[in-house]
Amino acid sequence: MSNVATGVPGQALGAAATSRADAATTTRLRVRREAAPYASPYLAGVGIGVVLLLAFVLMGRGLGASGAFSSVVASAVSTAAPSHAAGNAFYARYLSDGGTSPLRDWLVLEIIGVVIGGLASALLAGRVRWTTERGAAITDRRRLVNAFVGGTAMGIGAKLARGCTSGLGLTGGATLSVGSWLFIIAAFVGAYAAAPLLRRAWR
Amino acid sequence: MTTDARRRPGIERALAIAAVVGGALAVVAGSPTRATRGSVDVTELARIVEHEEDHVTAVELARWIRDDKPRLRVLDIRADSEFADFHIPGARRVPLAEIARMPLDSSATYVLYSEGGTHAAQGWFLLRARGVKNVFFLRGGLYEWLEEVMNPRVASTTPQAQRDSIRALTLWFGGKMQVVDSASATTVPSVLDGALSAPHMSDTRAAIKKIRRRAC
Amino acid sequence: MMAPFYEFGRLGEGTSLLIAVLLGIAFGWFLEQGGIGNARKLSGQFYFTDLSVLKLMFSAILTAMLGLFWLSWAGLLDLSRVYVPETFIVPQLVGGLVFGVGFATGGLCPGTSCVAAATGRKDGIALIAGMLAGVFVFGEAFPAIGGFADSTARGALTLPQALGLSYGTVVGVVVAVALGAFAGAEWLERRAERPARPMKVVA
Repeated sequence: MSNVATGVPGQALGAAATSRADAATTTRLRVRREAAPYASPYLAGVGIGVVLLLAFVLMGRGLGASGAFSSVVASAVSTAAPSHAAGNAFYARYLSDGGTSPLRDWLVLEIIGVVIGGLASALLAGRVRWTTERGAAITDRRRLVNAFVGGTAMGIGAKLARGCTSGLGLTGGATLSVGSWLFIIAAFVGAYAAAPLLRRAWR
Repeated sequence: MTTDARRRPGIERALAIAAVVGGALAVVAGSPTRATRGSVDVTELARIVEHEEDHVTAVELARWIRDDKPRLRVLDIRADSEFADFHIPGARRVPLAEIARMPLDSSATYVLYSEGGTHAAQGWFLLRARGVKNVFFLRGGLYEWLEEVMNPRVASTTPQAQRDSIRALTLWFGGKMQVVDSASATTVPSVLDGALSAPHMSDTRAAIKKIRRRAC
Repeated sequence: MMAPFYEFGRLGEGTSLLIAVLLGIAFGWFLEQGGIGNARKLSGQFYFTDLSVLKLMFSAILTAMLGLFWLSWAGLLDLSRVYVPETFIVPQLVGGLVFGVGFATGGLCPGTSCVAAATGRKDGIALIAGMLAGVFVFGEAFPAIGGFADSTARGALTLPQALGLSYGTVVGVVVAVALGAFAGAEWLERRAERPARPMKVVA
């Protein structure tokens, strides 16, 4: 059974037929115009698991994300107000003695890679769109405000917990770290508790 | 939204089976490392340590190496990069994990050393737990080697014969002996002294750097 | 040849940063492929309509966890040199809750927000801005709450240690729980797709 992206059934079948014909005649990588269906989340997950395992095997560490944000903020604060940053135990953690540029930080470079990889995958699947993902019941502006507020909460929560779904959920999950599993459970509890209040935003 | 994902039931089922097998076997395996068990006679070990029969001095080791003591195995348990920077001639690099399971030669004499001596002492314990009898460690570690063999500072009041003997040993390893007044002559350095005057980055600072970089 | 290679001095600093980018690219690729770079799809998790987040995360955790176990068992990986995220019981529970609320509000996590932004989603960009703001707020507040943030530390505590079970047993249990969760997820999604039962009309 072929799964196709949203769209008028007849149109979608036509699109599927032409893309099959295209595939038969050309083997070049093409940037698609119409959005291809996503991959199986299980397979994508296993793919990430392999990447995570590679990180362990090569570097002895896992993946992460929130740490990169900390590096950027610490660097920015250090540039704007060096003595303030140096005196703050939190910022100091992300600045080595010489005040390295964020580009020397492993996580920052990993996140740069995430941006590249995400874009590449989306380009090849026709899923790049300059838009705002939201439910139909709210406005773009409302959605962007929600995103900003949600991001702020996650920034604070991630720093309190010293990680996020990537650093604690994936890395800590795979290494069976107690605190990471506690974090993930708490995160899902918090999310499911807040979700009913935000139902309108996603409909 | 779920209908827009391309599912592959065949592969997914195969992965699920692989997970079940992997998990079930893990329960049977129990421990992720093929642990080898060792045993020690605690009283015997305490006696050995008390009589200082567990370690050698740098000078003793240097003489063993120079005189080509048969079946001498000098093991360096530091990191690869540290070993590449400098190591005792004839030494082989063996991390502690490998010490725990490497094949043993019952006729060999093992001497372990590390930067300061603590890890080497632990390696000594591991080998004794594995049943090795001829094992020693360099108590002052590489610091002791550098101070006593490579750059010894000999008091001017030392008898000439002894001075010559030390100088010959030092020269054999490419080191340099200095004659100084007795106040600043080399004594057996404590591990702490060594740590403070280490030419390269201290263990602590390097460890802190590593930890900070790996957090998420 | 023993892994982690970096821990045994086999990889230089430059190589390690290159690896960061490459791993990041693969990470971003699979995140986008799995569709959780899209906030609308991701938020389906919290309404039981699309559980891709659970499927993807658990699949990744299983893969890496089993990989770590068996590579270590085979003597190819020194598990003691692999970084285990530290446990801070209360901060991670509290941080997790706060993070979870933000997660439901924003519809993306730190890692996926970068994928979203990379593929042109304005809400991804807004979320990243929010995260930076949140980290900044935390950093400024740190002198006051640092004590709390460092409380109830348990070091690199793992589930086998905390539960007094063998490592392999915990691995087996996690596999069982994950597969059970997958079965549950499939059931929930099928239920969400089924048309609602028609209401009984009483004459």
